[in-house]
Amino acid sequence: MTGAGVISESLFRGQPFESHVVGDGPTVGYLHGTLGVASAVPFLTATASTGLTVVAPSLPGFGSSEPCSDLRTLFDWVCAASEVLDLVAVSGKPCVASSIGAMLALEVAAVRPDAFEELVLVAPFGLWDDAQPVADPFGVTLGVQRELLTVDVEKTATFFENDPSLDADGKISETVQQYQARSTAASLIWPIPEFGLSSRIHRVTCPVTLIWGAQDAIIPVDYLERFASLLPNVVGAHIIEDAGHLVEIDRPDEVAQIVSKAFNR
Amino acid sequence: MKTIYFHLMPYPELPADFQQKHRSVWVDIDPSLFDPNVGNRAYNAYIDQIEYAAGLGFDGIGVNEHHSNGYGMMPSPNLIASILARSCPDIAILILGDSVALYNPPIRVAEEIAMLDCISGGRIIAGFPVGSPMDTAFAYGQNPATLREKYYEGVDLIRAAWAADEPFAFNGNFTKLRYVNCWPRPIQRPSPPIWIPGGGSVETWSWCAEKNLPYLYLSYFGYKAAEQSMSGYWEAMGEAGREPNPFAAGFVQFIGVGATEKEAYDLYREPAEYFFNRSLHVYAGFADPPGYKSVETVRAGVEGMVERAAREATQRKMAPVKQGSQSKLTFDEMVEKGYVVLGSPEQVVEKLKTIATDLNVGRLIALCQFGNMSSDLAKYNAELMATKVLPEIREMFESEWKDEWWISPSESRVRMAEGVPT
Repeated sequence: MTGAGVISESLFRGQPFESHVVGDGPTVGYLHGTLGVASAVPFLTATASTGLTVVAPSLPGFGSSEPCSDLRTLFDWVCAASEVLDLVAVSGKPCVASSIGAMLALEVAAVRPDAFEELVLVAPFGLWDDAQPVADPFGVTLGVQRELLTVDVEKTATFFENDPSLDADGKISETVQQYQARSTAASLIWPIPEFGLSSRIHRVTCPVTLIWGAQDAIIPVDYLERFASLLPNVVGAHIIEDAGHLVEIDRPDEVAQIVSKAFNR
Repeated sequence: MKTIYFHLMPYPELPADFQQKHRSVWVDIDPSLFDPNVGNRAYNAYIDQIEYAAGLGFDGIGVNEHHSNGYGMMPSPNLIASILARSCPDIAILILGDSVALYNPPIRVAEEIAMLDCISGGRIIAGFPVGSPMDTAFAYGQNPATLREKYYEGVDLIRAAWAADEPFAFNGNFTKLRYVNCWPRPIQRPSPPIWIPGGGSVETWSWCAEKNLPYLYLSYFGYKAAEQSMSGYWEAMGEAGREPNPFAAGFVQFIGVGATEKEAYDLYREPAEYFFNRSLHVYAGFADPPGYKSVETVRAGVEGMVERAAREATQRKMAPVKQGSQSKLTFDEMVEKGYVVLGSPEQVVEKLKTIATDLNVGRLIALCQFGNMSSDLAKYNAELMATKVLPEIREMFESEWKDEWWISPSESRVRMAEGVPT
């Protein structure tokens, strides 16, 4: 991956999984959102340029990390995410997490409060309000899904389009990889992304900074207040203009600056 | 050749501008479009039609399961089958079928089929579909990524429950039961015949071949669309070392028989247009939830039936309107593409023989009522089909191949339509 530093491969339950390492400085983790790590490369490099090393594992089913058929329930996923954080030595470190990754980070921290030194969370899933339901990002066409995720759809081209330089077989492999990532993301939040987090979120005691895109078309921006009211140690909250659900993809530099300030205090 | 008179039970009064004013016939179809009084008339008319067909000489009658669906009003096919089990005393009853993964626990399916097999005296054929994305992932909220594994597990549980001679524990990934004890038990031992309907998923072919279960390709797009799936299925059968027994395969076909070709064209135009342009109007966003397809199917580029319907509907809608063109599928296209087999009895016989031979299928799931077809016309169509067409195709494959997946009714069964013997 050009500009994304080193991609290391290790084993998760006997299957290869990839992890991206960018920068030179204190380590921070990044738990990706629905599209995986590749679309967030500008954010990784922007964060690294602030003097941090970003370690960004691709969860099973994303990028070139093999899907894991044993992951059926949220409990399975919490155990898996916790295991991955240990494998890439991010446990106990500060971490940025986005969307489904932010939901997983909260769930991991709820059962393992020392899992993160500090969190920056970008539009986490995990709460539900009947008056403002979270949109269904997967009961739509791919074109609509793309529009729901970011304000600037060009920034998700690596996920929604085939690399024109690939041959026919390469394009099929890329399509399969994109499909697996969508499948895994959908499976994490199907059919409604609420699994009881509100009853255990009080256990997330580390400092948390919240970030939301003002134009988030999936989780209404009002959810920022809901998370802020339930988390015991919120130290910052930011609403970013001209940003959709995946804020770090729409506005990589702004999110990197927030991360830098949060983690370099 | 075994022919099943199959019914979808469509809602017959969708408005003419349905395609323009509504997003989808499935999942989020406008509840206000359903008039329960129309439902009252339609259900009774459809049951009448099936009962009428049962007396004409079809080998079986068939029902299926859909949810939140304007062209299939049977959320519970077993309810309809229970009526037919009593009113149609001799014929095979195909339930195509119960979507196993939607039942919690799936032992409920084993119990209800066992009840129906007892009531009918051993005439039930159990169809077990994975289920469409609309029914399973959206209307019933199942996780598409785990649906197929849950389905396989459910089928294993049901088969084990039917075959068991004593209670047992079942420790699955999705269902855990300390006591599995299917009471009542089915008449047919070790189980009623099991047929597997599919929409083109690659892994279903090899699974059917491995389990020795007949595969039925469910498509509303006729025999031409079935060629890819059926050749893939027969390839999988060959790889599994199975014989190419035509009774291990079937396909669905809309059929319209008239006294003459012209009459058939005149009679069936409106109901066919109603089905393909109103009933099959599915929002593309519901057709392919991520995870529903296996990686093998994605890699093979196989497109599901409803996915295709949704894609084509979207393409027609998005296409620039040229002079003389229209956004709807024309009746001539439906016939030309083989969506509907149409004509005089002789023409239909010839076409069905060609299809059965080319696809090597020994089971025809005949849709003789479709769209907003009236009861009179549905019965006329069924009668011509049964009296003029079936006698000409019935003997196909029968002397060369053994049908090992057919019903085994009890010889001492009570024939319910005649009343319970004293």
